[in-house]
Amino acid sequence: MKERNTTSTLKRILVNCSSQAKEYGGCVAKKVPEVERDMCLKEFLALKNCMQNVCLTSVFCYIKNFSMSANASSSQLTVGLSGSGGLSHAYVQYPPLKCNLPGSRGLYYDDANKLLLSPTSDQVFSWKTVPFSPHVAATADYINEGPVLSIRYSLDAKSIAVHRSNQEIQFFQRETRETFTHMCKSESESILGFFWTDCPVCDLVVVKTSGLDLLTVSFTSKSVNLVETKKLSVNWYVYTHGSRLVLLASGMQCKTLTGFQLSSVGIVRLPRFEMVMAKSDANSKPVLAAEDVFIITVYGRIYCLQIDRVAMQLHSYRFYRDAVVQQGSLPMFSSKISVSVVDNVLLVHQVDARVSILYDIFEDSRAPISAPLPLLLRGLPQSHTGRPVNVGESLDRNSSNHELMFYGDDWTFLVPDLICDVASKSVWKIHLDLEVISSSSSEVPSNLEFLQRRKLEASKTKQLCLAITRAFILERRPVTMVAKAIDVLVSSYSHSVKTCSNLKETKVDEASASVGTNASNSSRSAKDESRVGVGDKSFNLSASDSDDQSREIDSRDLQKSGKENLLGAESSRGEVQSSSLHTQQLGLGNNQLNANNSERQDSQLTSPAISPDEMYSCVFVPVGEEIVGDPSYLVAIIVEFLRSTNSEKIKVRPNIYVFTIQLLVRYERFAELSLLIINKVLEPSKEVAMQLLESGHQNPQMRKLALDMLRQLSLHHDYVTLLVQDGCYLEALRYARKHKVTSVRPSLFLEAALASKDSQHLAAVLRFFSDFIAGFRNTPEYQDYFRILNEMNTGLAV
Amino acid sequence: MQLCIFDLRRGQQEGQELDKILFFFPADLPFATQLSVIGLSEGLITFTRIFSPDAACEVIEAERHSHVFYEAESDIWMVMVVDKSKESKAACQVDALRKVLKEVHSLFVLFHGTMRSMLEKETSGGLIRSHLYPFITDYLSDFLTGRKLQLPSFHDCLMERGTVQMLTVGREAAIEVQSLVKVLECSAGTTSCYSLVLFQDLLVSTTLSPDDTISLFTYAVLRLTPHALSSGATSWSYLQRNNIYRSRDASLDQENNCQVKRPLHHNRWFRGNDGFLASDIWGTDNGSQTSVTPIVYLQLTEERMYLCAYQHKSLTIILLVPVSSILNGEQGLSLVKQQVLENASLKMLMVEEKLSKGWGGENAYHVSGYRYLLVDDERVSRASPPAKVMTLAKESLLALSKLREEVNLEKKRAKCSNSEVNCDKELEICVRAKNGAWVIARTSRGKELYMVLEKASETLLYAADSVEKFSNRFAFDALHILYIEAIISSPRYFVLYH
Repeated sequence: MKERNTTSTLKRILVNCSSQAKEYGGCVAKKVPEVERDMCLKEFLALKNCMQNVCLTSVFCYIKNFSMSANASSSQLTVGLSGSGGLSHAYVQYPPLKCNLPGSRGLYYDDANKLLLSPTSDQVFSWKTVPFSPHVAATADYINEGPVLSIRYSLDAKSIAVHRSNQEIQFFQRETRETFTHMCKSESESILGFFWTDCPVCDLVVVKTSGLDLLTVSFTSKSVNLVETKKLSVNWYVYTHGSRLVLLASGMQCKTLTGFQLSSVGIVRLPRFEMVMAKSDANSKPVLAAEDVFIITVYGRIYCLQIDRVAMQLHSYRFYRDAVVQQGSLPMFSSKISVSVVDNVLLVHQVDARVSILYDIFEDSRAPISAPLPLLLRGLPQSHTGRPVNVGESLDRNSSNHELMFYGDDWTFLVPDLICDVASKSVWKIHLDLEVISSSSSEVPSNLEFLQRRKLEASKTKQLCLAITRAFILERRPVTMVAKAIDVLVSSYSHSVKTCSNLKETKVDEASASVGTNASNSSRSAKDESRVGVGDKSFNLSASDSDDQSREIDSRDLQKSGKENLLGAESSRGEVQSSSLHTQQLGLGNNQLNANNSERQDSQLTSPAISPDEMYSCVFVPVGEEIVGDPSYLVAIIVEFLRSTNSEKIKVRPNIYVFTIQLLVRYERFAELSLLIINKVLEPSKEVAMQLLESGHQNPQMRKLALDMLRQLSLHHDYVTLLVQDGCYLEALRYARKHKVTSVRPSLFLEAALASKDSQHLAAVLRFFSDFIAGFRNTPEYQDYFRILNEMNTGLAV
Repeated sequence: MQLCIFDLRRGQQEGQELDKILFFFPADLPFATQLSVIGLSEGLITFTRIFSPDAACEVIEAERHSHVFYEAESDIWMVMVVDKSKESKAACQVDALRKVLKEVHSLFVLFHGTMRSMLEKETSGGLIRSHLYPFITDYLSDFLTGRKLQLPSFHDCLMERGTVQMLTVGREAAIEVQSLVKVLECSAGTTSCYSLVLFQDLLVSTTLSPDDTISLFTYAVLRLTPHALSSGATSWSYLQRNNIYRSRDASLDQENNCQVKRPLHHNRWFRGNDGFLASDIWGTDNGSQTSVTPIVYLQLTEERMYLCAYQHKSLTIILLVPVSSILNGEQGLSLVKQQVLENASLKMLMVEEKLSKGWGGENAYHVSGYRYLLVDDERVSRASPPAKVMTLAKESLLALSKLREEVNLEKKRAKCSNSEVNCDKELEICVRAKNGAWVIARTSRGKELYMVLEKASETLLYAADSVEKFSNRFAFDALHILYIEAIISSPRYFVLYH
């Protein structure tokens, strides 16, 4: 079966890419026998691109076939797919968070508080999952004995609500252990679930078959008060706290959905909409289940993903304040699908196929950002295995009593990025391996764009971006390509600077701007907002959804402040280390620079944006050291960088100019250099002028330019000193008189005049100073030179 | 006017004197007359060399003629004999004439390599003669007005031949230009490419050495820029009709004549469909029917380069690609051109747009109230627009012409006496002309400023004050000329001070 598959893949490539292959072949044939590297690069890239696409789809097909064949064992699959050498774009880190307790009655996840809950007979244990640490200790709270359908802590974490039965929710106050029960009024309706909310009008929302009950909970009166009821027949519901969105399914096929967003600024009712369901035949009416619908929050926008089992497609919808717009579909290769969102990247887990596919739905592109690969387990102790463990490989060696089955039936994917293995009672957090993702992409500019959008592990991402850029330049890619990459980095930096400096302001602007947004101009608003999404430090809930929501972010920031602080502290340590490491490596020894860097990095940890200084010290300098021979390529790239910064109105420190001058001088490209200076491409500054002076030894023109620059910068003292050094002491005197420069010692002028052996000039200089500086006649200098002058004159007379 | 080129190393034996002559204009002069001119020149050179072996005579002023000497290459001399007309005695500017000789030589070298190397290649001299005749007559045709050769005279004393005129650009445009230049260089595949970017008749960017820049710039302004392409030279027909360059030398056979390329031939450049300039001067490629791309010689490295010129509206880009880097001639070049178009055409459009936005027009560098010429390092110059200079009285110009000659003498003297000291001679001269105009020269640190102030009633004090004002405003006294340009070109700045 495998063999048949490979041949068909080859065949498919040949069939699909025949035109590209022909072009490439023709190009090579034309140039034979002078075959060179990158000779028919364009054609080759086209062919490669086509081949990769075909391969990708064929892998999909392969997976599909495989997972559907009854006798596909997991071990076979491992062999089939681990060809990448144990690399994967996403991984889970060993050890997991173990929630194994004696007497546990199941695991529950409270996504509002990010707590993992495990009730026992009279207690409930909770583990914090943010920040994720496998060693976090459980906290215990007492609850009464009874059946548990679900548990959720209130948002202030003071009370616990336990869903006991179809009719009953019980409340506990954690401190006082007070308790009371809320019952459904009528027998005809049953409670489907509930969640706490930060909506101003209510504390708790109960979803019943008859609709939503908005309640306030009061422990003083030991009762709940009904605030409002939204009447609606409900079959099932989906809610995530991240989106504050509850979707209520109704109808025979459960495909009519009504949404409410209950945020801190109020309740927004979304228009009712129908999910798309393909029919296998005319009479069948597939029923949509709650497991088939996912609410995800990416770049602050809310999407809903819906599984269409018949069409084998994952439809996506985007929510706007007053519209729901279908966005396109992703392929499905497995009957069981689950999704996670890690750092705004959507992971679609094809559970039966045991792979995850990554999508970056920032733009409209629905193309996966990497090949389908399984999740990987990392960090397993050395004694157990020397290499990373891949899909489905059971870890029976690890310990006898628990067995980890990747993508097993016991896996539950929690919002947004956790995996709960119910059988082993362990919880894993999904991480992205950006290095692997970026190495699998050959399009560097778009790759950098992708990386710049990543907010978690900002410092690591930044280092990765720098490394990619360095390598890209060292490979001597076409300047236009590098320019594109640099544009990406610079605009990302400029954006991060803008959003950091006036975060609040932009939010307010946005709020006012987004009023009245509707579906008709949704595409435009999506674009506007996407700009914000990148630079913003927290996930801001779709700005165009409602004007109020943008304000809501603030409160959520507060809520998450615990997380952010911890995260921030952690990564800042890493950052400072790395930056100091860099200075060491580069031997820069520029203390001021270093201090600046770490300071700024601290304040900007949430973004991997690269400042011009970092571009200089981490890209241009190292590349300059490695590139041998003609520097014009590097200079070309620096010019592109300057163009980019100039168009983004970012200031560049003179060190990069100085570096450019050094490069050009080293290879005696004086013509180019003087053009760059004259046109102020390298902006005038004292540092630049000094560097030019240094190169003045090789080329007098450079010295001249340096002098002019000093003069232009009104650095009178330096200018006059240099003029004297050049022997132009008379001109220097004139200039000194004009600009009232008194800081240059008269002896310098006198020495220069003496060196010229012209008694008249010496006399003139002497006279000038005795007029110009009061009391000069009484200085020993005057006496000395007066004597010398007399000697010269008598010598002449003799 | 007579112009001759001769080689002192040739024709040493009696009876072989004719062998010395490499070029003589007008060609239809009897040999005896030609020989007498050359004999006199040679005699003078030999004589003056006794006193000054390194720099023999530069000019001989006779009653009715001036002989202007220029040693183009070692022992190869160019001599120009000009008649002194009665009305403009001593009005011809010797230095300007020498610059003409220098220019024609540098252009010749640009396209054909040095004369010496040509003589070495073919010792009979037939080759170089066959090349010099059409070349120089083509060149001289530019000076024709009607039937007379109008050589540089006092009218042209507010311009400087053999310098480049630069366009002043803002930083943003400059970055765009640099970015374009880099893309151009890289798209040709080799790093040893050079480029020259012109806007109108002004230089924007160059990566060539200063000398090569000047020759190529001169050629571009003469034949390649949009202005040169559109105007052509209307008077060319005269020379052609009179067949002045009729071959004199017996060795110059017909076949040879056909192969001689005439880079300065008028109206032979045109803009192709792809935006590249093409010319049939160098014939057409047999295989592809495309015109052959000219090859030029760089002075410094003696490298041979293909000259590709691209034009978009007012923007002219000259790309020099090393001959050695292109393996299969025209085919390879067309690939390079294609690549240039692919990589840079968008950038070229953008640069053109940016530059024309900032372009102040013909009179952009006019400073009202002043007629000036600024020269920097004898390489870059800027002057009042010719139309404005025309308004000056003849007396003023004559006086300035005289003054310039004095300054040149002074400069040369300074150069001879202390060549080590890099601080050049500084001087400032104000002269009152007959018509009451002030004529002013000022030199400082390699920069020269010449100015005419036609305000007859003013005193010397006023004149000196005006120069000071001009100098201050444009920060002349030690400021780089190009900075002055920057200020001149920015009218707002100017108004502030006005």
